[in-house]
Amino acid sequence: MSARYTHARAILGPEMSERLPETKVLLVGAGGIGCELLKNLVLAGFGQITLLDLDTIDLSNLNRQFLFRKKDVKKSKAMTAAQTAGPFNPNVHLHPIHGNIKDPQFDMEWFRGFDIVLNALDNLDARRHVNKMCMATQVPLVESGTAGYLGQVQPLLKDRTECFDCISKPTPKTFPVCTIRSTPSQPIHCIVWAKSYLLGQLFGEDEDAGGELDEAEKQGENAQEIATLRKEAQAFKAVRSALRSKDKSSNAAKMAFEKVFNSDIRNLLSMSDMWRSRAPPVPLDFDAVKKGTFVLRGISATGPATNGSAKGNSNGHAATNGQSGASGSGLKDQRALSLQENLALFVSSTERLAARLRAGEETILFDKDDDDTLDFVTAAANLRSAAYGIAGKSRWEIKEMAGNIIPAIATTNAIVAGLIVLQAMHLLKKSYNTLRNIHLQFKPTMPLSAVMISPPNMSCGICRNTYTSVQCDPTRVTLGEVVKGILDGSEREVSVYEAQRVLSDPDWDDNNERTLESLSVTRGKFLTIVDEEGEVATVEVGICSLPANHSGGPLILPSPLPDPPRKVKVTVPPPSTPPKKRAAPDDEEVTELEPAMKRLKTNGTAEPNLYTPSKKRRLEDDGLVLLEAPNEKVEDDDIIEVD
Amino acid sequence: MSAAASESQDIETVTTAVSTNPGRRGQPDNKTRRYDRQLRLWAATGQAALESSRILVIGASATSTSILKNLVLPGIGHFTILDHHSVTPEDAGNNFFLEGPKSIGKRRADEAVRLLAELNDSVEGRADHRNVEEVLNSNPQYFLEFNVVIAHNMQPALVDKLAKYLWSEPSHPIMMVVRSAGFVSEFFIQFHEHSIIESHSETTPSLRIDKPFPELHAHAMSIDFEKMDPTEHAHVPYVVILVSALEDWKKSHGGNPPKTYAEKQQFKKRIQGMRRKPDEENFEEAEAQAYRAWTETTVPSEISALFKDSGLSSLTPSSPPFFQLLSALQKFTQESPHTLPLTSTLPDMRSDTKSYIHLQTLYKRQAEEEKAKFKSLISEDVRETIGDEMIDLFVKNAHALVVMRGREWGSFDQDRAALAMDPSGKETAKLATHLAFSALSSLTLQHQTPTVAALKAEVERIAGTDVELPEEQLDAAVGEVARAPTADLPNMAAFLGGMVAQETIKMITRQYVPQKGYLVIDMVDMWTGAVGA
Ligand SMILES: [Zn+2]
Repeated sequence: MSARYTHARAILGPEMSERLPETKVLLVGAGGIGCELLKNLVLAGFGQITLLDLDTIDLSNLNRQFLFRKKDVKKSKAMTAAQTAGPFNPNVHLHPIHGNIKDPQFDMEWFRGFDIVLNALDNLDARRHVNKMCMATQVPLVESGTAGYLGQVQPLLKDRTECFDCISKPTPKTFPVCTIRSTPSQPIHCIVWAKSYLLGQLFGEDEDAGGELDEAEKQGENAQEIATLRKEAQAFKAVRSALRSKDKSSNAAKMAFEKVFNSDIRNLLSMSDMWRSRAPPVPLDFDAVKKGTFVLRGISATGPATNGSAKGNSNGHAATNGQSGASGSGLKDQRALSLQENLALFVSSTERLAARLRAGEETILFDKDDDDTLDFVTAAANLRSAAYGIAGKSRWEIKEMAGNIIPAIATTNAIVAGLIVLQAMHLLKKSYNTLRNIHLQFKPTMPLSAVMISPPNMSCGICRNTYTSVQCDPTRVTLGEVVKGILDGSEREVSVYEAQRVLSDPDWDDNNERTLESLSVTRGKFLTIVDEEGEVATVEVGICSLPANHSGGPLILPSPLPDPPRKVKVTVPPPSTPPKKRAAPDDEEVTELEPAMKRLKTNGTAEPNLYTPSKKRRLEDDGLVLLEAPNEKVEDDDIIEVD
Repeated sequence: MSAAASESQDIETVTTAVSTNPGRRGQPDNKTRRYDRQLRLWAATGQAALESSRILVIGASATSTSILKNLVLPGIGHFTILDHHSVTPEDAGNNFFLEGPKSIGKRRADEAVRLLAELNDSVEGRADHRNVEEVLNSNPQYFLEFNVVIAHNMQPALVDKLAKYLWSEPSHPIMMVVRSAGFVSEFFIQFHEHSIIESHSETTPSLRIDKPFPELHAHAMSIDFEKMDPTEHAHVPYVVILVSALEDWKKSHGGNPPKTYAEKQQFKKRIQGMRRKPDEENFEEAEAQAYRAWTETTVPSEISALFKDSGLSSLTPSSPPFFQLLSALQKFTQESPHTLPLTSTLPDMRSDTKSYIHLQTLYKRQAEEEKAKFKSLISEDVRETIGDEMIDLFVKNAHALVVMRGREWGSFDQDRAALAMDPSGKETAKLATHLAFSALSSLTLQHQTPTVAALKAEVERIAGTDVELPEEQLDAAVGEVARAPTADLPNMAAFLGGMVAQETIKMITRQYVPQKGYLVIDMVDMWTGAVGA
C-alpha cells in the first residue's frame, strides 16, 4: 500500500493497521468538522465508513465545508460528501445516510455494529444522545466541537473516561412568559418575542396559544395581565385571515402592525399597576411613523431608532478607505435602522411572507438563512424595542442572536479533525494512557492544551448506569415480562421509567400487563429500572427489534443478564436525566424546564391513569412535568427558549 | 435629517443586498451569505484584507495544498503554486487535492490549482511550472508580487536564500517556513514588524470612575439618592453610584481613594449602606465593580511600552499610518488626565433605559471630544491619507494595540545566548525538537545522511555547550526526524494545514495575535509550544 497509510501504521502498529480496511467507523455529522474528518478517514485508509447527517447544504456552509460546491446547495450533506470524497479511495466503502441519529432504527444493535463513533455535531441534544448510545454499547466515541478560533476534542469510553454528561452542560437561556409578552427590558426579549411568538402567530400553525398562558397563570404570574394577553391572542385570527386573503386591498401588513404595535400596547397600558415601577411602552402610529412625523420619546422617527446604544461591535465597522470594497455588501445590514426604516422593512417582509402563504406554503418557521423571516424578525423586534424604549439592533446582530450563530472557519475545523483521527487511533489501539482531552485555545505560545483524561463522575446519571438491551416485539411483549426477565427472579423493589415517565413502582403495577407498544416504549427507547432502595445501580434496557428470521417468542433476553453493581452511597436516584431545576435567583429569570415530554400516542381507546398520585407529587416536586392523561399534550412553547 | 431625504432611501440599501424585484423573494448577496460565519470573526475589514491578498506556495505537497485549501475557502484574492514536479504515485495517494491515479504523470501545480480553485470561484489560482531555484537566481523580484510566501519542506539551501532575500527589505512579503517530519513539525513566520489594531483582546477599557470627566462628575453629584422614589433608586447605574460614593469617600480621606485592604472593604460596606432594600441589583453591581473606584486609570504598561518602539523614534511623514497614530496617542497621553482617549462603549448594567441612555450620551459626547483632541494631534495631510474609519478603529482599540517585531529566519539558531536562555528549553522537548529540525536542514546542506548519531552531533554543534537538553527528549525528537525526514503524512498535513493557515489569516487580516518564533508541534505526545518567541 502507498505511503498514505504510514500514519495509521505508526500509531496502530502493523497488526491493527492491517485491520484498518475492516474497521467500521460511524461519523455523525457531515458539516464543518465532518467534511474534514471524512477526508482524513478516507486518506488514512479506514475501510468502512457510515456517514450520517440530516441537513441539506446551505450557501453559508461553503466557506468551510469543502466537499460541497455551489451547485450542491439544498442537496443532502451526507450524500454529497460521500459522492465527493468516495472516488478518492475506491477501497473505502462509504455508506451515507440522510437521516436523524435519533431515529428509532439507530438502536443499540445498530450502534454495536461500529468499532468507533466520531461526533461532528453542532447541537447539544444529538451529542447527548450519541454519548448515551455509546455508553450503552461501550463503543468508543470521540466528541468534538468548534467555535470560531476555539475548538475541543474529547475521547470517551465507558468506564475508562468521563462521559459527555459527566459534567453538566449549560442549558439554553429561557425567559418568563410575561417578560417576553408584556414587559420586555432587553433587546433579546423583543427578538425572542418576534421570532418565537409573533412570527408563529401570523405565519405559523393555527394554534391556540392558550396553553402557554394557562401554564403562566399556574406559575402565579399576574392574572389580569394574562387575561389581557388572552384577548390579544384571539384578535390574531383576523390578521391571520387577512394575510392569507387573495384580496390585495386588505392591507394586512398595516393591520398586523396596528394590532401588535398599537392596540395591544394600548391594552397593556390600561393596566396601570404594571407600569407603576417600570417605564410604560408607547403605542406606535403607523401613518405617522411612515411619514416620518412620529416623535418617540423626543426622537424623530427618521433618526436612528436608538441613541446609538446598539453595542459597539467590531463587526459594525465599515471597511477602511482604500481597501477593496469587495465585501461592502456585508455592511449594509450592520447599521441601526431608524423607526421609519423598520416600519418599511416590517411591511415589505410581511408582504413577502404573505405572498408565500398565498402561493401555497402552509406554515413558515423562523430560519436564520431565510431572509424573509429574518427581515420580519428584525423589523418586528426593533419596532417593539422602540415602543418599549429599548436599544435597537442591526439585522446582522439580530441574525446572530435569533439564529444562535457561532462563527465557524475552515482552519479550526481542519485542526480539530486532525486531532480527532489521532485520538480515534489511540482508542482503537486501546492505548488509553495516550488519550488526551485537547483544547484549541487563544494562546499564541501554546495553541493546543492537552490534558489527561478524567475518570467517570461517580454520580453521573448516564455512564454510571448499567446498560443492556432486549430484542423484542413491542406489540406482543408486556412491560412486566421485560422487567421480570431482566431482574431474573430477584425480589428487589424497583420503579420503571421511560425517559421521565413513570411506568410502574412497587405500589403500582397496573401497567405490567400492558404491551410495550401500548406504553409507547418502542424501538430505540430505553426502559430505566431504578432500585427503590437506591442500593443497586440503575439498569437501562435498550429496546431493539427481533432478528429478521426470528420465529420464537416476542422477547429475547440478553445473555448474560445485567449485573448492576451495588452502590456505596444510598441516595434516591432520579431518572436518568440531570437535575431539572435551577434555583431561581430572582424574579427576572424563573423558568428553566426540561424539554417537554413527548406526547403519548394512543389509539383512541380509553387509557387507565398512568400515574399514582403519590408518585406524581414526588416527581413534580423534583421539577418534572407530568401529564394528567395520556392524550394531554405538553406544548413545546410552554418554555420560550433561544435555541 | 428631513423626512423626505430619508424616505428616498429604499429598504434594500439598509438590509443586506435584498433583491429589488417586487413580489419575488429577496435574496441577499451570495458572497455575504457564503462568508457569514467568518465575517462574525474578522468583520468586513478582515475580509477585505483577505480578498486583496496574494499568496505564493512553493511546492504542492499534501501539507501545502491543505494550507491552501484553508485559505481558498475563506476567500483570499489570489494564489500561485510554484512547482516544477510531476505527480508521483505517492503524491496521488497522499494528497486530497490531486485526482488520485488520474493525476499521475501530470504537472503537480496544474492538478492542485485546478482542484483547489473549484473550492471558491471568487479566488484566482495560477500554476507556475518553473523551478523555484531558477526563479530565485534569475528573477527574485517575482516573489515581490505576493504578500505571503509559504514554503513547506523546501530544500534548506533555497529556503535560506529566499528568506534572506525577503528579509532584505521590510516591505518585502512575509514568509512562512514550514517543516514537518512524520509526527513532528514546526513553522516560523518571518516578518519585520507587525502592528495590530484589532487584537480582539479580552481586556476592557477604563470607565474613568476614578478620574470622572467633568460632565460625569457633575451628573453623579446632581443625583440626590435621598429624594428618589424607590424605582428610580433601584435603577441608578452602578457607574454613577461608584463615582458618587468615591467622591464622598475622598472627602473624608484627604482626597485619596481606598488604598488598603481594610479601606476597600470599608468602601464596599458604604455602598451596601446606600441601599434602601436588600435586593437592589444596581448596588450589588456597584459593589462587585468597586475595584474600578480604586484602580487608577493610567496608560496600560503594554501601551506605554509601545511608545518606546523604534517605529516611533524613527517616525517620518512616510511612516506607516499605525505609527502616525501611535505618535498622536503618545502626545495625547502626555497631557492631563494622562489616560488613553475614552471609548464610548458602556457595558450593560442594571438601569432603566432613560438613565442608561443619558449616561451613554455623556460618555459618547466625552469620547467624541477626546477623539477630536486626538485627531488634532495628527497633522492634517496624514489625517487625510489615513481616513476617519481607521482613526476611529484605532481610538476604540487603543487599550489593546500590539506591535510585534519579528526576526530573520535562522538567526535564532545562531544566537547561542538566546538558545541558552530560551524558556522552552529546560523541561520540555520543544527546543530539542526545533533543533532536530535545524540539524536536519544543516545535514542536508552538507549532503550528509540524517542518521540519529549525525543529527545528535549536529544539534550539539548548533546549540553549543551552554544549552542543556534532556537526553530522553533529544533522543525522541531526533529519532522521529531520522525515521521520517520527509514524510508528509495525510493526517499531519491536514492538521498542519489548519494551523499554518490560521496564522496566515491572522497576519493578513492584522486581527488577533499570531504566534512568534517557531511553533513546534509533536503529535505523538500531543503538545504544541513556542521556541524563540
Ligand atoms: Zn458520565
